Amino acid sequence: MRPAAFEYHKATSLEHALTLLQEFGEDGRPLAGGQSLVPMMNLRLARPGHLVDINGLGLDSIEERGDVLHIGALVRHQRYFDDPIIARRLPAFLEAVHWIGHPTIRRHGTLGGSISHADPTAELPAICVLYDAQILVASTAGERRIAAADFFANAYVTTLEPGEMVTGVEFPFPPENNSGAFLEQAERRGDFALAAIGVSINHDTSTITSASIVCAGARLVPTRAPEVEAALVGRALSAPEARAAGTQFSENINPVGDHAASADYRRGLIAELTTRAIERACEKAREHS
Amino acid sequence: MNGENPRQIGARVQRFEDTRLLTGSARYIDDIRLPNMLHLTIARSQMAHGKIVEIDTSMLEDSDFPTWVFTGEDTRGLALRAHQDYPEMQYSEQPLLALDTVRFVGDPVAAVLAEDPYLAEDAAELVFVDIDPLPVVATMDQARDSTVPPIFEGWKNNTFIERQMKGGDLEAARQAAAHVIKRTYRNQRQTGVPMECRGVVAHFNDADRVLTVWSSTQMPHLVRTYIAEELDLPESRIRVIAPDVGGGFGIKGQVFGEEVLVAWLALKTGRPVKWIEDRREHLIASIHARDHEHTLEAYVAADGTVLGLKADISVDVGAYSTYPFTAAGDPGMAAKVLPGPYTIGAYEATFRALASNKCPLGTYRGVARPSAVFSQERLMDEIAREIGMDPFEFRLKNIIRDFPYKNVLGFTYDPGSYAESLEKMQALLADDIAAASASKQSKDKRIGVGFACFIEQTAHGTPDFTRRRVPIETGYVAARVEMNPDGEVVIGLGLQSHGQGHETVMAQVAADALGIDPANVFVRHGDTLTSPYSVGTWGSRGGPLGGGAVHMASLQIADKLKAIAGHLLQAEAGDIILADGKAALANDPSRSIEIRKLARAALRNLDQVPEGMTPGLVAEFSLDGPKDGTYANAVHAAVVEIDVPTSKLTLKRFVVVEDCGTILNPMIVDGQVRGGVVQGIGSALLEHFVYDSEGQPLTTSFADYLMPLAPEIPDVEVHHIETPTPLTPLGAKGLGEGGAIGPAAAIANAVSDALGTEVASTPLNASAIWDLSAHLRSA
Repeated sequence: MRPAAFEYHKATSLEHALTLLQEFGEDGRPLAGGQSLVPMMNLRLARPGHLVDINGLGLDSIEERGDVLHIGALVRHQRYFDDPIIARRLPAFLEAVHWIGHPTIRRHGTLGGSISHADPTAELPAICVLYDAQILVASTAGERRIAAADFFANAYVTTLEPGEMVTGVEFPFPPENNSGAFLEQAERRGDFALAAIGVSINHDTSTITSASIVCAGARLVPTRAPEVEAALVGRALSAPEARAAGTQFSENINPVGDHAASADYRRGLIAELTTRAIERACEKAREHS
Repeated sequence: MNGENPRQIGARVQRFEDTRLLTGSARYIDDIRLPNMLHLTIARSQMAHGKIVEIDTSMLEDSDFPTWVFTGEDTRGLALRAHQDYPEMQYSEQPLLALDTVRFVGDPVAAVLAEDPYLAEDAAELVFVDIDPLPVVATMDQARDSTVPPIFEGWKNNTFIERQMKGGDLEAARQAAAHVIKRTYRNQRQTGVPMECRGVVAHFNDADRVLTVWSSTQMPHLVRTYIAEELDLPESRIRVIAPDVGGGFGIKGQVFGEEVLVAWLALKTGRPVKWIEDRREHLIASIHARDHEHTLEAYVAADGTVLGLKADISVDVGAYSTYPFTAAGDPGMAAKVLPGPYTIGAYEATFRALASNKCPLGTYRGVARPSAVFSQERLMDEIAREIGMDPFEFRLKNIIRDFPYKNVLGFTYDPGSYAESLEKMQALLADDIAAASASKQSKDKRIGVGFACFIEQTAHGTPDFTRRRVPIETGYVAARVEMNPDGEVVIGLGLQSHGQGHETVMAQVAADALGIDPANVFVRHGDTLTSPYSVGTWGSRGGPLGGGAVHMASLQIADKLKAIAGHLLQAEAGDIILADGKAALANDPSRSIEIRKLARAALRNLDQVPEGMTPGLVAEFSLDGPKDGTYANAVHAAVVEIDVPTSKLTLKRFVVVEDCGTILNPMIVDGQVRGGVVQGIGSALLEHFVYDSEGQPLTTSFADYLMPLAPEIPDVEVHHIETPTPLTPLGAKGLGEGGAIGPAAAIANAVSDALGTEVASTPLNASAIWDLSAHLRSA
């Protein structure tokens, strides 16, 4: 459990980092918090020949930019707990952070690292998909943005090209009347999710005006529930349809089964967690309206 | 029993070793660095079963750093041999490096050395091993199937050994029974997971021609003997040292092929060699545990008396027999202990050790008893339910109350508090039982209460080992106690302490006998040069036998000190009391002399000792255990809450009522119990070493092999009853393993109660709870 040989490069600027990543191509990886990459290297499941340490580059602001919240790639998970904008405008996001690993992981791990790693059970990729976030990507060729729904290609696989690096994520603000919830089940507190459900609803005083639902852990990438989301529109904020929605999502999603949990159990879990997350989001919405 | 001035035994003395362990000054195996040292990486089989076609090491020749590589051809003839001397036992041995067949993923294939541990790991990747696959024995059912080809040539099937134990008239019990209750119970394969993995350093010193082997082991003397026999060296020229050992739990209570291999490599290369096992290697290739299946049939009279028990016990012990407890260790132990604390008059067990293409099975805290108690106590609950009795009342009806009690297999139980423990637990759980009962109205939120009553044979003596015909013939513990001229004491302890707190407890014991402060007692252990021959730390014998040996040896020195004091104070030695660093007249404490002055007299100022007294203040005592051991007893109870729709189980409460005889240090006893319980919770709920159908391990890191963490563990409540045994010098019974024995049974009984359904296997992880609660969802 010692990594294969690699060369370490301390990037001095974003341009420097991108130049190095361009030079190394498939053989180069940015090093941020190292919470996934370093264990994978120790197990020799990842063998980058070059690590480009981007920790000194800044990229660590959380700021409102018009109608989006911009979060830098190097923001550590722990920061979200104290961020008033996230608490108020992206409530499902804040709930999800509570389920991320352990304090050490939350103090070191970064947003860019989590989404680039693209673990199918991870919370932040699901949050990006839930809120239709835009992933900001840079390379020596310039910048581009990738919709979260298009970013996660497979388990541990993204649509990043060699030489590209995530620099930040833009979360479009939902309308003011938004509520959300994130529920997860794992064998132990902080473990990889057996299933996790994020819900974000927009509402008026008595009805749901639009809804987003995402599931992590059940499929190879975070998975939305468009039919279920559509069915919730116009429904009462007392959430009488929550259970039907949960059942519908669990029937549509076709989860994987493995030694950690059977497909049947994951299906049941998705139904229950979706139900509870919708109920929770609606309850919070009723409290605030 | 506790000496004349018992102030240390039973006291809450803080552990002396903790300063070192908690401040980073402890020195573990990886802290040993010698000049010119080579680092070993073991290339291990990545296939579960196959014939080695070729081992190509030519790529190493092209590497740009120096390497050394050895394969089975080089170590031919060297092996781990762990045979049980019964004609039924099919012979096997594990070569230090595979010769022509690999039998599990992790089987050592080549030893690769370099001058840096990173380079050694790189070099090991360059060894190319071509293996022709053979059919894999991946499940217990396959191992039991006589049509499946054996994994050893010349074997008739995949059974290492199958034997029987019996006592009483089982047929009569069957005839008299009003109820026959038959169940099959299963415990998963897991492992013990000490915080420190294994590791060995070996160095041959040309000057004194001594081979020194440092190993993270629980049994340094047995390692020394095995290396000496295998490498044909005199034991006097081998010194084995277990430095600070970061946990063992029985996993390090075996002699490993790697220990012989590293010693051989040091001799072969003429340089110090270090091997530090990594976590993945430890999980796949050290020692696994449990993996039991028991089919039990109970014959029960109309009034609820259990008349007889029939057991069929299978254990999948993996690819090789382990040293010194052998492949038969687990199945034999399960068969021996299943009658438990109950007055069962007839018993018959058939038990077998099955070979498979998996990591070898060895000792882990509790050794078969967690599985035996799981089956026994699940069955007791099922019988109670079937005949309509309260589970406490049913056990109290069958519990042994008269001591000494000769059980159905002829083992004699010394006095314990079986019924009292049950009654105490019943009282402690009254509120939870009521809450559990009320929760049955709900389909979503269920509370369950379960408990398990058990005994543990501890500190058993030589006859118990002789019966087993295993390579370990005895279980005694030796201690040498020496007082220096300054009155300070050094103990050379035959035990090895890897968390037990021996440095404190043994100091307490000696201090009481010698009338000195335990802080003036230095306990050395884990080094064959400084400790008398002993068989190591395992089998819950440190307190009763190690403490007993220290006590007996200390008394010999105390006698001598009293004789000198009597001589100097002009009094009878028998009237002298040793306390507070002084020897004083019992009836006139004003007449006293400091113990350090007596020590000085005995060792230097011999003109002051009685005429004819031999110089010196050193005594050694080797204490064998009582023939059948001394039986500790306990009741464990769990209260669980299950959120039925998500299958989320929360352990709300865990309660222990235990009796380990005389308590030597209450803090250490509580720590031992709690630590064991946490491991038992892991067995009950989480820990599962999973292989696929090709024998590939799926749980090879802590991401997949799940141990209980703090949020999963309630505060473990520990209650004590003290029934000192007449069979050991201090009245102490063993307790090191007990904490791990009860939780699986107690938690399974609680889950069964909560869900109103039978529970037949562990681990009770979320998927298992999901399957067990199907009836509540459909209703």
